[in-house]
Amino acid sequence: MTASKLDRRYLLMAATGLFVLLVVVYPLWQVFFRSFLDAGAFSLKSYHKVFSNPTYYRAILNSVWVSLATAASCMVVGTLLAFLAVRTDLPYKKALRSLIVLPYALPSFFAAIAWIQLLGPQGYLARFFMQLSGREAAPWNIYSAAGIVFVLTVHYFVLVFITVAGALERMDASLEEAARASGAGTFRIMREITLPLVLPAILAGGLLAFIGSLANFGIPALLGMRARFFVLTTSVYYALAIPDFALATALSSMLVAVALVFMCLQLGIQRGEGRYTVISGKSVRPSELKLRSTRVPLFLGATVFVVFISIIPILSMALTALLTYWGAPLKQASFTLDHFAYILKLEAARRAVLNSLFLAALAATITTVAGVLISYMHVKAKLKGSRALDFLATIPYAVPHTVIAIAMILAWARPPASLYGTLWIILVAYLAVYLPFAVRTTHSTLQQVHDSLEEAARVSGAKLLARLRDILLPLARPGMIAGWILVFMPALRELTVSILLYAHRTETIGVTVYNLQDAGYREVAAALASIVMGLLIVGNFVIRRLTGGAAGF
Amino acid sequence: MKFSKALLSSLAVTALIPFFNPGLVSAQAKPGGRTLLYTSVPQELATRFGDAFMKTRPEIKVEIYRAGSTEIGTKLAAEREVGGIRADLLWLADAPVYYELKAKGELLAYISPEAKHIPADLKDPNGYFTAGRLINMIIAVNQEVVPLKDAPKAWKDFPDLGKKAVMGNPLYSGSNFVTVAVFVKQDGWGWFERARAKGVAIVRGNSEAASALAGKEFGIAMTLDYIVSGLIKKGAPLAIVWPAEGAISVPSPIAIIKGTKNPDASKAFVDYVLSKEGQQFLVTQEVIPVRGDVNPPKGQPSASQIKFLPIPYEWAAENAAAIRERFEKIMLQ
Repeated sequence: MTASKLDRRYLLMAATGLFVLLVVVYPLWQVFFRSFLDAGAFSLKSYHKVFSNPTYYRAILNSVWVSLATAASCMVVGTLLAFLAVRTDLPYKKALRSLIVLPYALPSFFAAIAWIQLLGPQGYLARFFMQLSGREAAPWNIYSAAGIVFVLTVHYFVLVFITVAGALERMDASLEEAARASGAGTFRIMREITLPLVLPAILAGGLLAFIGSLANFGIPALLGMRARFFVLTTSVYYALAIPDFALATALSSMLVAVALVFMCLQLGIQRGEGRYTVISGKSVRPSELKLRSTRVPLFLGATVFVVFISIIPILSMALTALLTYWGAPLKQASFTLDHFAYILKLEAARRAVLNSLFLAALAATITTVAGVLISYMHVKAKLKGSRALDFLATIPYAVPHTVIAIAMILAWARPPASLYGTLWIILVAYLAVYLPFAVRTTHSTLQQVHDSLEEAARVSGAKLLARLRDILLPLARPGMIAGWILVFMPALRELTVSILLYAHRTETIGVTVYNLQDAGYREVAAALASIVMGLLIVGNFVIRRLTGGAAGF
Repeated sequence: MKFSKALLSSLAVTALIPFFNPGLVSAQAKPGGRTLLYTSVPQELATRFGDAFMKTRPEIKVEIYRAGSTEIGTKLAAEREVGGIRADLLWLADAPVYYELKAKGELLAYISPEAKHIPADLKDPNGYFTAGRLINMIIAVNQEVVPLKDAPKAWKDFPDLGKKAVMGNPLYSGSNFVTVAVFVKQDGWGWFERARAKGVAIVRGNSEAASALAGKEFGIAMTLDYIVSGLIKKGAPLAIVWPAEGAISVPSPIAIIKGTKNPDASKAFVDYVLSKEGQQFLVTQEVIPVRGDVNPPKGQPSASQIKFLPIPYEWAAENAAAIRERFEKIMLQ
């Protein structure tokens, strides 16, 4: 390798490093060092509080086990569904896939509300059960730790689903073919060939689900308080309400620490990366598994599941938007279109939709590009220091969004670089929040591309950019599209960061929904969320048409 | 390559959005006639009120940042770390916050000429803040769960409904904190110990308590009158009980931040909030006025008709941490 080629790769790394420094490291450091401050002097007081108050250390334990349980169930559900949707001859697979991904765009607040409407003590299913059995209450309780795990799983299993579906699509079929030719049965092939090959994707998705539920606030806040069940994020919110900055950051550092431990574990399991490179350039699509007699029952099972997790929550939100008030009896007089008329007339709502589209699209594009570069340097170029970069870029995922918003104010509200009060500070915050998604998804994608392909191109004299453009990007494309969508959809409805950073005329969809909701206009908030959902469905349909199915979900 | 086409066209579309959106290009207007209001007053009310004010003073531009009390508190704390609070005006439902701000010397004293029409217990004697509207903590009943005749008539009977009763969490909500402080100052912690033993539920705030009540998850709720009135207006089978001991009337004060770049515009806004015209406008939006010479919204009792419990603000501000901690021990652990 000549010196100039080496330089160019390090130049790229320096640029990416600067990006991570400005977007992640500098802002988070601004918060972190304040956890060691007490009246301006160094102190460990806040950390002492965390470990001496049972409320706080119990919250840490609660967070860990709830997130572990969620990640485990997400891995099971997500992998099974991905397999059904990609590798079998299940009917209506494409529709199934879109429907599975769609609820991810539902604000988690509405997801939780939908489940309360369904499973809560006065929910439709609970009332149905009570009528059927004649009992006073349903045998389940959504306001409990188990309820939190359930709703978190429904909310996050899509992370495993998307990463595993991508991996299954890119898989080299020849290994399976070889096993089949040697007489191995379908089940054995799945267990000994397919499963190990997609294991990095399952683990990467599981880690995303784990850290996602660790940092989720909306669901435990809504479902946990009545059970007096507290997790780290609800404790951070409490510390901010006091307001005790140092305590909030000390608690957040605990969140990051827990996340880091599990990230290291995941990386440890994945040592010996060569085992997992499964795309070696042959464009043979893996064969479809014929389900035969199980085709109909599996199809019915998948349909019931999708109706349950996608269609019912979305319908429940639409129903809320159409009712005069939430909880109104379901009769003709209770239905109205007023809430839609109201929201369409609201200038701030139209502006919010434009702002959010702009922010989400830009954040998704920038983080995907940055994610590919970071993963490339770590996984493929294996440059010194790239592992640290990969690590740093993943940290914000475990930081509560409120803390990220505070970090942005501390870092970017002072001259000369004052972005405060403009859309750009929200963009920078979104980049920090969503960079980890992009890095993790592209990471597992690139891991599957065999080194030999790029080697071959390099030996033939292809320059760095040409290699990225002609070899890696096309091969990593499905993973990148998946990553883009994983950023775009939540960014479109982002609330926690935006609510602290928005200003006059820079409100986002999440802010508008929240402010309507908070003032008791839950029905109007639901109308706005329904409109956004409709836009996504139509947008997805158009994009799929235009690109012949190459993009979209 | 279809993918790169899609990428390029999506980028192009994205790049065009700012041109349809003035918020991006000029987020900050000239400081001359501008005043920035941070408020937890409901969005629509704040926007309409701001518009009504700007009609009377077209040369002044009011910019509104609306969020919940906790978010505004966090924002203020963060801004303090980087050179001071950016807002010119603060209008929150969280009265104790103003005592803290006053103690920190972050408020501008201003006695509005309109303030003489406002009762003494609704304003700071030095003019650091003045109530701009009233919100009342009351008992709300869902008549389909608990018939009105069986509903508690007084705060003291509230815990007896046990699992059918719900209240907001004072660790998160300012008006709930004030309510807890009133109860504790009068009778100690017995009420809460009884509530815990009987299984009264705690939710995050007043909106959630009212929503869960309308959704029949509970029979009675301790929550704010205007949220319940809104639900009743939409047809929910709720009713308001004014507790025998007295409601807790939480003033929602307005104050000017000391660092304001535009004291004149900020003062003009405060004058309008307290003026007869401004209060009358608030009444059209179902808000209870702070002036004796303005009639309350139809169907709402006027301030002189309701019995109110005295609020020990300074005591509450001094003992805030201890009150929160004790509440957490009794009700949440």
